[in-house]
Amino acid sequence: MLVIRPLQNDDLGDLYAMAQKAGKGLTTLPADRELLQRKIDRARESFSQRCAPEAALYLFALEDLDAGKTVGISGVDARVGLDEVFYNYRLSVTVNASRELGVHVRTPTLNLSNDMTDTTEICSLLLSDEYQGGGNGLLLSRCRFMFLDDFRKWFSEKVFAEMRGVSDTSGRSPLWDSLGSKFFDMEFSQADRLSGLGNKSFIAELMPKYPIYLPMLPDEARAVIGRVHDNTRPALKMLQAEGFNFNGMVDIFDGGPVVEAFVHNIRTVREAENRQVLVVDHAMAPDAPPDQRAMISNRSFRDFRVTTIPMTCIGPDTVNLPGEVADAIRVESGDQVRVVPLKDGGLLPVAPLKGV
Amino acid sequence: MWRVRPAKLDDLQPILNIGENRLSSTLPKTRDALARKIEQAWASLNPVQTSQSPRRFLFVLENTDTGEIAGTAGIDSRAGNGQPFYNYRRDHLVHASHELNISRRVEMLFPSHALTDLTLLCSFTLKQELRNTEVFELLSRARMMFIAGHREWFTSRTVVEIQGVQQEHGGVPFWDSLGRHFFNMDFETADQYSGQLSKTFIAELMPPNPVYVTLLSDAAQAALGQPHPLTAPNYDLLQREGFLPGCYVDIFDGGPVMEARTDTLKTLVTSQTKALHGSHQEEGDTCLISAGEGVEFRCLLTPVAETLADDVKVPVGTWRGLEKTAGDRVRISPL
Repeated sequence: MLVIRPLQNDDLGDLYAMAQKAGKGLTTLPADRELLQRKIDRARESFSQRCAPEAALYLFALEDLDAGKTVGISGVDARVGLDEVFYNYRLSVTVNASRELGVHVRTPTLNLSNDMTDTTEICSLLLSDEYQGGGNGLLLSRCRFMFLDDFRKWFSEKVFAEMRGVSDTSGRSPLWDSLGSKFFDMEFSQADRLSGLGNKSFIAELMPKYPIYLPMLPDEARAVIGRVHDNTRPALKMLQAEGFNFNGMVDIFDGGPVVEAFVHNIRTVREAENRQVLVVDHAMAPDAPPDQRAMISNRSFRDFRVTTIPMTCIGPDTVNLPGEVADAIRVESGDQVRVVPLKDGGLLPVAPLKGV
Repeated sequence: MWRVRPAKLDDLQPILNIGENRLSSTLPKTRDALARKIEQAWASLNPVQTSQSPRRFLFVLENTDTGEIAGTAGIDSRAGNGQPFYNYRRDHLVHASHELNISRRVEMLFPSHALTDLTLLCSFTLKQELRNTEVFELLSRARMMFIAGHREWFTSRTVVEIQGVQQEHGGVPFWDSLGRHFFNMDFETADQYSGQLSKTFIAELMPPNPVYVTLLSDAAQAALGQPHPLTAPNYDLLQREGFLPGCYVDIFDGGPVMEARTDTLKTLVTSQTKALHGSHQEEGDTCLISAGEGVEFRCLLTPVAETLADDVKVPVGTWRGLEKTAGDRVRISPL
């Protein structure tokens, strides 16, 4: 059984192994023990509310209870840009027109912006290769929306995600090569790593502050602005299905898009329902396919746990849980839980009797 | 004998006939526009200013023997003529990071109106066959002689735009890398418009923000602030006159703008006014000689036989060119 739970101290080893496998692409999870330990500490403080709510970083682990190891991680950064400065380019349009000459020219322009400051970011998603598929990625990503939903006051109304932009197999980014590198004197991977380490002040100091007119960039650089890396396309599709949309912001290094949604519009949030737990002693139906499963959360802030169950377990008012599932998410009969279909357009509605 | 005098409406057709090898974009190419410019220039010569618009002058190079018109030269007493005068200012920003121990100068082009209302030399056109002769210096420096004689009409600084780099097939690297994206037209068209239309279209179409030089094409970066090879004689002459390229470049072709303090221009410093006297000798050092105020301004080359304390002796032929007689005040300056 796979369960989402807050990241713990003993996850360090598994996390480090995952980060090592992931390679350069994932800047929010560098393969650096010290740094990972700092992240774990921060997550611990966040869940135990020993830090200010706006400084919180909630990291969730996906644990395989049977194998006893952590196989995935995902996170929510409560507010970005409060202690460091958060940069994006806003892709906008400059129109130059002359009635006298009958000229009307639209020039796409990149404006450096801090517009995402004070907004909640979903981040740091990584799932071990051997656990890809079977809805595990969906659980790892969407469990965050259940958390946001239940504890809305700690987050902004809007949440966003930065999608990885285009780079080739050797880590070269066309946008970086024709824009960033002209100002930084370093490789994309190095700059990206520095920014992942949190040394972001160098960006402010070295980046061009004035608007960049796109026609002055080479074609190959223009082509990748607002485009995602091929490996990130499934993640983008998943977020789009949840109601996220491109908001016109792109990453300053690789041009990857920012997608955002209002929390109350996210599908997982809209479709979630409360139920009471009824612990039963018969086993659950054998593995149901992802589109017939639902996420179930224990609605606990400090020990937030989510797993998936077949939708057949869900009744009009209650949800029938075998003992080991109830234990896994730390609930007992009579506790309130929240359930939502794992996939959009899941076959069975969660509330079949609603409105009858 | 070649002489420089203010342009008259009669010169309209001859000026248009100079035609093919024209270098100056500040000279209108259509008959009507040119006529208007000549009229305005003529009116500007009136000591009592009749219109609100700043004085603009246009002179022609005339062969007094044949009546041929072989060149033009102009002065705008206020660059922009009451409208903004556009340039890019080349400047640097230092992008430095303490943390990474990196410091680099980032070259920028800032849109600028700083040269607006300064005296501007413009509209210089000369027939090809006269380019490498003394006449070239006569036509160009006659303007400085005019400024010397009418100093109060001009500002403390004088500027002149030098044509920028153009490739053999007509492409202008600086324009192709920058202006073309925003104006959506080729260089020739834009250049013509800037000579004829109001400058409003520049304000409307030019990118309002500074431009990073490093994002220009290599050819455009190389062309920045470089004079067109054809303008080399002009560039050298202006440098001898005391003009220096500064931090301003043309917004269209990236050519340099040369600047000088008007009162330190060589012609203004070295020229002297003397009383005109006759000489029967046709020999002596060749000097620029000018006389006359406003519409009567004449400037030509003459051998100077002898210069006394307050007198200058020149051949009587020169008198006729100047339309002056013995005892009249003239200004001379060595070549």
